[in-house]
Amino acid sequence: MSAEPIEVDARGLEPPQPMMRILEALASLPAGATLRARTDRRPMHLFPILTERGYAAETQEQTDGSFLTLIRRA
Amino acid sequence: MAGVLALVGSVVLLGVRPDILAAYHYNQYTVAATHLWVLGFLGSVAMGAMYQLVPVALETRLHSERLAAWHFVLHLVGVAGMVWMFWRWDLKQVGHFGSALAAGVALFLYNLGRTLRTVPRWNVVATGITAALAWLGLTVLAGLAIAAAKCTYESLETLPPGHWLRWPLIALQATAHWLGRFDPLAVMHAHAHLGGVGFFLMLIVAVSLKLLPMFALSELQSPRRAGAALGLLNLGLAALVVTLTGRSRFQFVAGGVLATGLILYGLELRAILRARQRRGLDWGLRHFLVALGLLAPTALLGLLLAWPGLPATLLTTQLETVYGWLGLAGVVSLTVLGFLYKIVPFQVWYHTYARHVGRFRVPALADLYSERLQKVSLGLVLAGVLGGALAAALASTGGVRVAVLVLALGLGVFVTNLGLMLRHFWRPRLEPLAPPRAAPASVSRT
Repeated sequence: MSAEPIEVDARGLEPPQPMMRILEALASLPAGATLRARTDRRPMHLFPILTERGYAAETQEQTDGSFLTLIRRA
Repeated sequence: MAGVLALVGSVVLLGVRPDILAAYHYNQYTVAATHLWVLGFLGSVAMGAMYQLVPVALETRLHSERLAAWHFVLHLVGVAGMVWMFWRWDLKQVGHFGSALAAGVALFLYNLGRTLRTVPRWNVVATGITAALAWLGLTVLAGLAIAAAKCTYESLETLPPGHWLRWPLIALQATAHWLGRFDPLAVMHAHAHLGGVGFFLMLIVAVSLKLLPMFALSELQSPRRAGAALGLLNLGLAALVVTLTGRSRFQFVAGGVLATGLILYGLELRAILRARQRRGLDWGLRHFLVALGLLAPTALLGLLLAWPGLPATLLTTQLETVYGWLGLAGVVSLTVLGFLYKIVPFQVWYHTYARHVGRFRVPALADLYSERLQKVSLGLVLAGVLGGALAAALASTGGVRVAVLVLALGLGVFVTNLGLMLRHFWRPRLEPLAPPRAAPASVSRT
């Protein structure tokens, strides 16, 4: 059974605070769980760090113009 | 860093030769100092920042970092050589070093062009950046043509038929002959507007439509109004370049179209700021707003100077210098300094601390530099720019020296603050994480 997803709402924050919130939350992400991060923009600077830490990420634009990024262990 | 060094060099030149501002601007020293400031400082920082910002702002990846490195080498050689040869007024060598610079710009345009082709969603920002790149290409071509027009081509008579250099020289001679039909001063003014308005102002307009909402936590309010502003700016500039080159009385109309574009841009920025979620604005953004405040008197002065039949007196010719100074040292340079306060701390933070987040306690962006020094440097630089404008209008070398001293003090404070930021590269401030407590409010398990 996969662990419950963790939700991070980083909308309304100035860079680099969204990245900090997401990376801090990832540190406590249980094995097999997914982190769902909501941001105002596509988190371009986050992707290389996620790859370096062994995570896979997928970003989708939402109807309200925000972005939802799903992050899990690669 | 190369850009900041060029800025310091330009200010030193102004201190050594205050007549650069206090005397009529069509002389070798003013041309050399202007190219050091514009290409060395503004050009280096703007193009360096574009390699970083364009892919992020437009959600794509830079086509080639290797080409960017080659561009940097050609840019450094080209700018250093051009400034030196302008100072000696050896225009043949200006053309040679200018060709190195142009080769670098060609790489830059190709690299950014390929990057822009991969943009997932085309928008007003991408359109503005593309326009700025096109004007940059035209600026460089116009600059090379102006240098070619000031050279002679006696070597054509001694070159054997069929020599590989014959055709390039014939093309240059034909360009020189064609450009010789126009007033050299008018052509130089058109070249300056291509670069100042076409590349720098267009870039500021386009990038600010993305960055201002990002940093003020707002949204673009009317893509249609922003698009109309960009359209009018491009149309007005094209008309202005043609009318300036031909010394036409319709310069004023072209300037009016440009000014209308700027008014629409100002209205859009006002709407973005009114819709912002973040009440207080940091001093980096205030730099930018002060710079925009200077845009209004600069544009009005430009319109005044474009007035049909304005007599050429000591005052009006000095006002041309004031116009250029306010535009480049005021509007563009203050914007660049403001954005450097956004870009440099972020880059330092990203490359030093981002990979440690969640593993160590890392400093916040604002902890990387002193806000107090930032305020002091803005005040001094602004006072220096305004003082320089007044001294130039009065053609006062003593006044220019005082203004340059104030400007140099402001830049000294700015460089000190820059040093505080860069110090984190060598001495990162990492602290162990506090023992875990309750999860932050914005993080929730579903």
